[in-house]
Amino acid sequence: MLNEYKTYNCKILKVTPEASDSKTFTLSLPYKGFSFEPGQYVMASIPGFGEAIFGIASEMNDKKSIQITVRKVGTLTSELHNKKKGDLIGIRGPYGRSFPIDLAKGKNVLIVVGGIGIPPLRPLILDALENPKKYNKVYIFYGCRDESTLLYAKEYPAWKNVCELSLTLEKPLTSKYAKGLVTTLFDVKDIPADAIAFMCGPPIMYKFVLAKMLDKGFKPENIFISLERHMDCGQGVCQHCAIGTKYVCKDGPVFSYAELMNFKSWLSPI
Amino acid sequence: MNKTKFRQFVEFLLKNNLVIVPQYNVEGYLHLAELKNPKDLYLGTELPLDSWKWYLIPPFQKMFDYKNDQFKEILPKVGKQIFLGVSILDLQALTLLNQVFEQDPYYQEIKKKTIVIGTSHVPKENFYKYFAKFEEDKLEHLQFDIFLAVQKNGYKIYSGSEDGQRLLDKFKYKNYQHIEYAGPIREEGLDQQMVSVMDGMQNFHEQKIWDDLGKRCMQCGKCTIACPVCFCFRMYDQSNLEKDSGYRSRCWDTCFYNEFTQVAGPAPAAPKHRLMNTTSQKIYFWYEHHFVRTPASFSLPGCVGCGRCTRTCPADIDIFQTQRDILKARQRKK
Ligand code: SF4
Ligand code: SF4
Repeated sequence: MLNEYKTYNCKILKVTPEASDSKTFTLSLPYKGFSFEPGQYVMASIPGFGEAIFGIASEMNDKKSIQITVRKVGTLTSELHNKKKGDLIGIRGPYGRSFPIDLAKGKNVLIVVGGIGIPPLRPLILDALENPKKYNKVYIFYGCRDESTLLYAKEYPAWKNVCELSLTLEKPLTSKYAKGLVTTLFDVKDIPADAIAFMCGPPIMYKFVLAKMLDKGFKPENIFISLERHMDCGQGVCQHCAIGTKYVCKDGPVFSYAELMNFKSWLSPI
Repeated sequence: MNKTKFRQFVEFLLKNNLVIVPQYNVEGYLHLAELKNPKDLYLGTELPLDSWKWYLIPPFQKMFDYKNDQFKEILPKVGKQIFLGVSILDLQALTLLNQVFEQDPYYQEIKKKTIVIGTSHVPKENFYKYFAKFEEDKLEHLQFDIFLAVQKNGYKIYSGSEDGQRLLDKFKYKNYQHIEYAGPIREEGLDQQMVSVMDGMQNFHEQKIWDDLGKRCMQCGKCTIACPVCFCFRMYDQSNLEKDSGYRSRCWDTCFYNEFTQVAGPAPAAPKHRLMNTTSQKIYFWYEHHFVRTPASFSLPGCVGCGRCTRTCPADIDIFQTQRDILKARQRKK
């Protein structure tokens, strides 16, 4: 019988240090024909250290490799950081519902990301770079703690060719960047309220950003949010990620705000 | 099947198989254990304290062995086993587990070697009224191999699978009727009690119920161990003493523990973020799984009304009372 828990060994093709505490791993494909959509994730593991989920951060059309960006926060991620080119990482997946990028075709797109929330939206940004005509205008709002935590900084010049990138730092160390939370960007930038919004970041960010967006006239059904949850199985059995009648692992992690409004807020569904 | 024949049937089952049945232990508790002496078999309205899930989803289960970077699938090594005397309530629970673990190779490996023999016995105190009166047409929505419907002088016998038929044929018993499983949904539609409690929780939320329970519950998790349809698990790796080898496994988990919804960690310095922080959130989550999520996903009741959780709860939390409270709030607000 097929075993969904089976993990596939992927060779590390490249390790790219990213900001002060993160690394991007370029991995060989887990198996032939592996493909994914922006917002989907994989379970990555090292024998003896367990598994954890990581949003796939690479280009959708890359048929040779995938990338995950890992911030060092716990035992597994620390061990991942010890891995070198040529070592193996176990991968299973991809899992989950992606950001509905088809819905955004030809429309304005707003990407709002905070801290380590940017990797699952990088495939979408790279898609926009690859197909500049696919979306109308693409705005990126990215908030971080300080300069040392900005991910993919080397790519920003390329992103700026196609997207309007706005960065803001909570505690900037220099005066190069704007100071403030990502919400402040809504006061400075004028974003068309008909944009399809994609968000990923800490729950606290959602609360304030959503208030701003609804205020600006965004429709709940056009706002898509990726939720983070504790997950063990990745297929809607183990119950760790359940909210209401849904499982974040397989019905999400991406939900529209219109869907999320149906969940009981006192259980902190976001 | 009259009583003499039934005694022979039990002896026949014991000849080549591991037979698990409800029986009293030395302390006087009814529990599940391997039947050694046919005399010890208990078939009656009392439910064993522990549930059949122990034998289908063991508390600890090895999933893979690893050596260096290679994982090897380890399927459970179990022989043939027979569950004898499964109350119709517990059959409902097993029917649900079969759906939940339909794609799970570990569960299926054990399941395919298991023969389930149900009975129409139901505990006297049971909030879930549906099975209080046994009717034959209730059987087609339950999964079992053989079923014993209690009659005055023995049992009326049904088969519910080919395995069950084969076993009865081998015993040279012909006087049985076959019932084909017709899926979870009954002719009359969804279970009304299930639908009302679900509606109460979803649309007529009463915070007070959960705040009160939150004050009483001590998050011990005993109810989740006792419940025949609680199956949450967590996965973890364990290394052997020998270098670079070990196993990946899963074990029962309970939604009352803090780590259940914790993300990032467990390095001491890591930021800990939990989705459920209060006791009332946790107990609500537990009820929500039983009364909302399971019916929504499987059209099956996520609580079979066995009362095991109430019996085990050290805080005296009575699930039937909570159901009544949910229904009352629904009545009031409707
Ligand atoms: S009564 Fe309690 S133990 Fe029995 S099925 Fe319902 S929730 Fe589980
Ligand atoms: S058994 Fe009772 S006290 Fe323990 S977790 Fe369950 S409801 Fe709470």
